[in-house]
Amino acid sequence: MSEEEKIELEEEEHTSPLTMPVLKRIIELLMPHKLWVIGFFIAIALTSALDGVFTYINKNIIDEGISAGNVERMYELATIYGGFIIVQSIMVFSFVYLAGVLGERVQYDLRKRMFEHLQDLSLSYYSQNSVGRLMSRLTSDSGRVADLVTWGFLDVTWAVTNIITSVIFMAVINWRLALIVFAIIPILVIVGIRFRMHILVEFRRSRRANSKITGAYNENITGVRVVKALGREDENLHEFQGLTDEMYRSSYRAAWLSALFLPIVQIIAAIALGAIVWYGGVQSQSGLLTVGGIHAFVSYLTFMLWPIQDIARVYAEMQHSIASAERIFKLVDTPPDVHNMPNAVDAETLLGEIEFDHVDFYYEERKPVLKDFSLKVKPGEMIALVGPTGGGKSTIVNLLCRFYEPKRGRVLINERDYTEYTLESIHERIGIVLQTPHLFSGTIRENIRYGRLGATDEAVEEAAKLAGAHDFITSISKGYDENVGEGGNLLSTGQKQLISLARAVLSKPELFIMDEATSSVDTLTEALIQRGMENLMSGRTSFVVAHRLSTIRRADRILVIEDGRIAEMGNHAELLQQRGHYYRLYTQQFRQELEQHYGVVDKTEEKLSAPKIIAAD
Amino acid sequence: MNGPLTFDFRQTIAKNRLKGLWRMMVDYRLPYLGATVALAISATSKTLTYLLLRYFADVLTGDTAAIGNDLPRTFIWVALGFVGLSFFQGGFSYLSGRLAAYTAEGIARRLRDFLFDHIQRLSFSYHGTTPTGDLIERVTSDVDAVRRFFNEQAIGMGRIVLIFIINFVALLRLNAKLAWISVIVIPFMLWVSMWFFKRVTKRYEKYQEQATTLSTTLQENLSGVRVVKAFARQNHEKTKFDGDNWEKFLRGRHLLLMHSLFWPLSDLVLGAQMLGGFIVAATMAINGEITVGTYLAYVGLVAWLIWPIRNLGRLIVQTSTGLVSYGRLMEIAKQEREDLVEGKLQPNGSVRGEIVFDDVSFAYDDEKSDGTPVLKNISFRCEPGQAIALLGSTGSGKTSLVNLLPRFYDYTSGSLRLDGIELKNYPRKYMRAQTGIVEQEPFLFSRSIRENITYGVGRDVTDEEIEEAARAAAVHDVILTFPDGYKTLVGEKGVTLSGGQKQRVAIARTLLKNPHILILDDSTSSVDMETEAEIRVALKNLMENRTTFIIAHRIQSVMVADLILVLDQGKIVQAGTHKELVADNNGMYREIYDIQTRIDQELEEEIASVI
Repeated sequence: MSEEEKIELEEEEHTSPLTMPVLKRIIELLMPHKLWVIGFFIAIALTSALDGVFTYINKNIIDEGISAGNVERMYELATIYGGFIIVQSIMVFSFVYLAGVLGERVQYDLRKRMFEHLQDLSLSYYSQNSVGRLMSRLTSDSGRVADLVTWGFLDVTWAVTNIITSVIFMAVINWRLALIVFAIIPILVIVGIRFRMHILVEFRRSRRANSKITGAYNENITGVRVVKALGREDENLHEFQGLTDEMYRSSYRAAWLSALFLPIVQIIAAIALGAIVWYGGVQSQSGLLTVGGIHAFVSYLTFMLWPIQDIARVYAEMQHSIASAERIFKLVDTPPDVHNMPNAVDAETLLGEIEFDHVDFYYEERKPVLKDFSLKVKPGEMIALVGPTGGGKSTIVNLLCRFYEPKRGRVLINERDYTEYTLESIHERIGIVLQTPHLFSGTIRENIRYGRLGATDEAVEEAAKLAGAHDFITSISKGYDENVGEGGNLLSTGQKQLISLARAVLSKPELFIMDEATSSVDTLTEALIQRGMENLMSGRTSFVVAHRLSTIRRADRILVIEDGRIAEMGNHAELLQQRGHYYRLYTQQFRQELEQHYGVVDKTEEKLSAPKIIAAD
Repeated sequence: MNGPLTFDFRQTIAKNRLKGLWRMMVDYRLPYLGATVALAISATSKTLTYLLLRYFADVLTGDTAAIGNDLPRTFIWVALGFVGLSFFQGGFSYLSGRLAAYTAEGIARRLRDFLFDHIQRLSFSYHGTTPTGDLIERVTSDVDAVRRFFNEQAIGMGRIVLIFIINFVALLRLNAKLAWISVIVIPFMLWVSMWFFKRVTKRYEKYQEQATTLSTTLQENLSGVRVVKAFARQNHEKTKFDGDNWEKFLRGRHLLLMHSLFWPLSDLVLGAQMLGGFIVAATMAINGEITVGTYLAYVGLVAWLIWPIRNLGRLIVQTSTGLVSYGRLMEIAKQEREDLVEGKLQPNGSVRGEIVFDDVSFAYDDEKSDGTPVLKNISFRCEPGQAIALLGSTGSGKTSLVNLLPRFYDYTSGSLRLDGIELKNYPRKYMRAQTGIVEQEPFLFSRSIRENITYGVGRDVTDEEIEEAARAAAVHDVILTFPDGYKTLVGEKGVTLSGGQKQRVAIARTLLKNPHILILDDSTSSVDMETEAEIRVALKNLMENRTTFIIAHRIQSVMVADLILVLDQGKIVQAGTHKELVADNNGMYREIYDIQTRIDQELEEEIASVI
């Protein structure tokens, strides 16, 4: 099951009652488009009311035209009828167009607002909310809210107007008969809601079963080799049949409940109709009700069934939409953790002393990541961070970039707490290359230019040359205008890294941060990356989360980070002499790199588990 | 309905997709026919309601005599008639819906079961070349489209056609002239609505395309949040997103314009048609050609004749998606399955594990490999319980060689004998039961650890047995540290296991399965030294008394093997024990050995140089 489906399913379970504050905020969304809203409400109300009018004209055609034998009156009424058809067509056009465009517009507004707010939110927010979840805020949730304020409001207006108009006309024609109809309305509403709720329960059950089925398919296909190797085919089929049985039962039940629903409503209405026919017939004898009148009653009664059988559906959808709205509001109400202080100043330069002063940090309370971490870095120094995964290397980098701020202690730049500087002035002066380089869809040129938006083509190529990316770029068919694909997936990891190096070079940073890739790239690209890094680091302060020996050896200072502390610190020779953590890490790495170099082992080793197998988690 | 599958989709395939869908309905045709008949009865009852209204009106106006000239009694009968007809109409409409759902859901379930089973029995080559996402898409969305075809489109079209015919016949009986006048506009309407829905489908696709673009932009922004922040490009991103966002709004508006023109226009045309009919009918009624009752019936019936036509166009366009989906499912169904039980031999004991490769060659038979053999003239033999190590670089054929043993693939030429009998005579199922595989990064299922260990064992296993296996695999202690012990779920909803832990769970799984032939992917490069030592212990327990094939990456792990095969480009270039191979100064093995030694030396020198 894809993550999206899972999120969707999970969020579908959430419903919320309509509360005034939420409703107020939803209505606020419509305020910029007041005229459109008023227009569409009028159009839908008129459309609905005209349906009632048509029936009434028809009654008069029968009574005043046909029964009275008056041809002229009949033509007169037919002309009015025709006129109203035109009016109604215009109204239908108006409400479909207005509501539809309004819906799209509200979605546009919501997406824009959320996106812009997301740009300001801190990394901590992103680590608590998966990309999939945020995506669903901007896609399905905004869609649902837009549906609520357009089609949802429209359904309600239409239904209410329809019932009111029908009731009024019926009362005008014959109030005694109208009373019979009033009596059944509550029954119909109750039956309608109860039925719909049952159907919804089954429907949800079947959705849940469906996602289990998708999950089973997914796992069985990705794990097909294991299934075959262990000969699990028959048992798997047996288990799967359990799921399809579950799905069959609930969707069949939902389907036949739906099929039963309309007939029941109709039968209740037919009983009222029978009463009307009988009583109307009796009354017509005393001239109280005409043939046209009886006919009109039959029609009104039929009309009224539609909104009533729809009411529960609309109500259920509304609850979901309100839950969506609440999630959206929660997003835009979240304040960013890291933000500019009121009197923040421009950092001016990062090429000064950088100091971590007794810094504590955790992502989740009671799970400390950095403990009393102190470090002083001289301008232009190159620091290599090594150590096991989860030791805190990335956290140091995150704090340095001020993606997060220390929970305790300070980070000082030029002897001043860096929270006194503006975020922009810090970020502008940092160049960063991530372990899994992130590129955007578009051309190579656009991706490099991301480092400095105003850069000329020459500057872009110059940066690529410095980063060692120029040669490979010019060797591909479209050169700098080659598309990198979604997320850069048309390029290899090594190539992506070269491009993100070029991007960092172009931004002319004062502080350079690199998280080296663990995955191996071919020797040639590796050499290019090394050279590019060298070029980038000269004259800059740099922090490298290092995995390559050549990088580590070049560092001015190596920090072995374990359990959120500096376990060892010094240059290459000093640390080797200590024969401690670093010594072990180094010899292991040394063996691996050389083995790779001599072609004894390559990490892209073919596996029994073949090309497209992904792990269960 | 658990048990072996009785439905075979492959038997119902037909070139003509409609015919194929019809054949797919086998066993469900009667209920579906029932659904149609019930629909007809229901529609007829509805039509009769209007005819009853006509009778009632005619009685009121005196055009028809009341039953026994007793008006009040007639009214009661008419009233009961209305209620009775509505019971008929509702009852049969329910029956029809229920039968249609029974058919559609039943067919869908059958199809899902079939596809699930079919896919897990397709060959390795098929799975190697087909993207998972594509398969999943087909078995979910396309099955659903076929289900909707039966539940909505086919029955929906039947409904519209039946309602039209029944009401038209009724109108013809009422008054032929009126009937014909009332349908003038229908062919035109049908054409317009087809035209419209085709256009709308296109615009909708463009709208969806933009929705995809927008979500790509969004996704790249969200997953690249560090880059955006590090370069302080928030404003640039906002502008970019706004451009895509606005374009989606514009395309949405473009799509809506189409909708907002079609519905009122069809309202207008059909409204004019109805009104024209009313005028003619009213004139006829005034002239006495028809009764008031007939007029009333006409007004009622004509609405049921005309309005459904608006939706016919949509149904026809939607039906095409059902046909396309059918075609996509057909492609899967056409693929050849592996036969699991085929084989001259039906052994019931276990194998001893004596294996002889005699001039075996093998080539993948997919398009990409165009028949180039990946294994060439492989010959060697091994005794039961021996350990065979395979050494070689990527693409040397190590994996292809071991894949022959559980009959994942069949060799193309030569002879491969197990316990003296040609391997092709053993059923695949049997071979797989006799072979255990431990991968470097094994696939675990999103089930509990216990279920993962017992997965594929095929018999009831006691807790003691499981724990014993886990202990031998050196993973018991790790499992106990998990919140729910052996019941802990693996994967997203439970614990995430490290590579080494996964491997040990897989070893426990294999120990329980107790195979006589074992295949090991012995790469411990991804784990730390401590874990490596634990895995070694586990592997040693596992290899005892089994014929073992080790895909080796380092000299260190092949030294103990009884036979080492050095492979290069599909050929055995060297074979022998460590001692023998090291003695051959010109061999590849020696070369690798030297490199390993040199690495150790270099490391020594490197360290010496800095110290």
